[in-house]
Amino acid sequence: MDFYYGLAQLVGVHTLLGLSAYIVLLTGQVSLAQAAFFAIGAYVSAMLTVLAGWHLVPAIGVGALLGAATACGVGFPALRVKGLMLVIATLAFGEGVRIFFFNFDYQIAKGGIKVGPLGGEGFRQIRFFPENGWSTAEVMLFIWMFALLVMLMLWWIDRSRYGAVLRAVGEDDMAAQSVGVNLTAVKVSAMTIGGAIAGIGGGLYAHYTTHIEHSSFNVLVATFAIAYPIVGGLSNVLGTLLAVIFVQGFLVEGLRDLGDWRNLLFGALIVLAMNLRPRGFLDAATLAGIARLFGGRRA
Amino acid sequence: MLDFLQAVLDGVLFGAIYALIGIGFTLVFGVMHKINMAYAAASIGGAYCGLLVLQVMADAPVWLVFLCAFASGGLLGYLVYLTCFHFIPLSSPLATLMSTVGMLLLIDEIIVHSTDGRPQNHPAVFDEVMLRAGEFSMRGDLLFVFAVAVLCMIALLLLLYRTRLGLATRAVSQQPVAAQLCGIRVARVNALTFVVTGLLGGGAGALIGASVGTLSPLLTLPLTVKGLIVTVIGGLGSVPGAIVAGLLVGGFENAFQLFRGVTERDLYVMLLLFVFLVFRPGGLFAARGGRD
Repeated sequence: MDFYYGLAQLVGVHTLLGLSAYIVLLTGQVSLAQAAFFAIGAYVSAMLTVLAGWHLVPAIGVGALLGAATACGVGFPALRVKGLMLVIATLAFGEGVRIFFFNFDYQIAKGGIKVGPLGGEGFRQIRFFPENGWSTAEVMLFIWMFALLVMLMLWWIDRSRYGAVLRAVGEDDMAAQSVGVNLTAVKVSAMTIGGAIAGIGGGLYAHYTTHIEHSSFNVLVATFAIAYPIVGGLSNVLGTLLAVIFVQGFLVEGLRDLGDWRNLLFGALIVLAMNLRPRGFLDAATLAGIARLFGGRRA
Repeated sequence: MLDFLQAVLDGVLFGAIYALIGIGFTLVFGVMHKINMAYAAASIGGAYCGLLVLQVMADAPVWLVFLCAFASGGLLGYLVYLTCFHFIPLSSPLATLMSTVGMLLLIDEIIVHSTDGRPQNHPAVFDEVMLRAGEFSMRGDLLFVFAVAVLCMIALLLLLYRTRLGLATRAVSQQPVAAQLCGIRVARVNALTFVVTGLLGGGAGALIGASVGTLSPLLTLPLTVKGLIVTVIGGLGSVPGAIVAGLLVGGFENAFQLFRGVTERDLYVMLLLFVFLVFRPGGLFAARGGRD
């Protein structure tokens, strides 16, 4: 059973990562810096619980705030460029943050052993959960509490005026600007919310794996972050969840018996999925179809 | 000071490879307004295919390895076009971004799978030669890399500016609709652009093998990042920009490797990119606006 709890933890954290990219993608921007905000949340909250002895919840809060602040800071200069230039700018920023953590040492002695991040070796002994006697199931529930809260918030945003503005900017920013939408405010605020969500995800990730290092936040993680919402479809937050379950649950865990071949299949299936469903699994037409199905029953 | 100049010189020579990769990204961007994320992976893949020659014929001459890398690079380029671009509507830019990322992972994994993840030795060229000019020395293999890369660039520029295919390519990159109205088969031009960039990439991959001495799947991601940085610094869609930026990034990177060590080197390359994004967001040779 613990195996499934562990899988659910993984799916929860990756859902947060995907959702952080989802809200940025709604405004039509592709950010490959989500892994960087994820890393900042992970390192900051882990340092707060391990080195400063904080409780996990405020530590995650600070991690989210710092992730949001960094995203906001990146948003302004990066938004001078558009479209594909932004992809590359954020990619370079993400790599820059990763290399920063690769060179980052801050260790203090605690109870005879040195703890804290140590450059290429990473940050070991993030033992908040075992020290406080949390079981795997409790950790899973804790992670999913955050994941569900964020999903509800994004669902609500999607149905609010702000969500409509986000999608308007995503569809055609020129048209949105001409009806008086402040593009900078919308894009930077979407980046900031995305940064906060990635920060929360990073904090949870650091504590359930107990060991983080720079390579846990590389370009691949950043591409996974945007892959979930794109493969799942941008019409609904459930698309992201569906894609995370498909990728982490089915491709990574479900196909474990295939051994090496699993990795080969992984890339091929993404290529195939994009060829067959260029707008994602849950695109607008599919959603409308599902809604009609349920509407028909009610009528 | 002398060490610094020497480091910059070596870096600029190696930067010719970055320039080739940058050209590949920039040409595809110019024609289709899309990024082909699988490009660097396909280039390394082409170089691996070149090594297949040595499997068949153990004492094959080096030029045959290079030729095979070139050819299979072109073939891989066409395959990438077919699987990641041809069937996906132009109106969904995110889908092609994702499909090429999938292709990147696939090529990486095929390499890892077929070589058991071990780095493969690549035949070096002129690696014993050392040219000396006063205090400076030039590594023969880097000079060879530079010379071949320059030849590739000249061939590409001739293709772009002296042939009908080049004319068509430039027309499509300026105005795809107008080009189609003039009777240019846009899909064919797109596919041929992928073949041409694939040829360049296969060559670049083999050059990396020749100068580093080994090929490893670990090369693909850093090379993708470097190539994209070169593309942005040079200006998206600009071939001369990619050449200048490639040499610039190569020299800059090697200079900082001398000062700050190999682990911090790339951090300064990213900083260089951000300096460009803030002060010259269009890149060195920004394309004039007004497309579409």
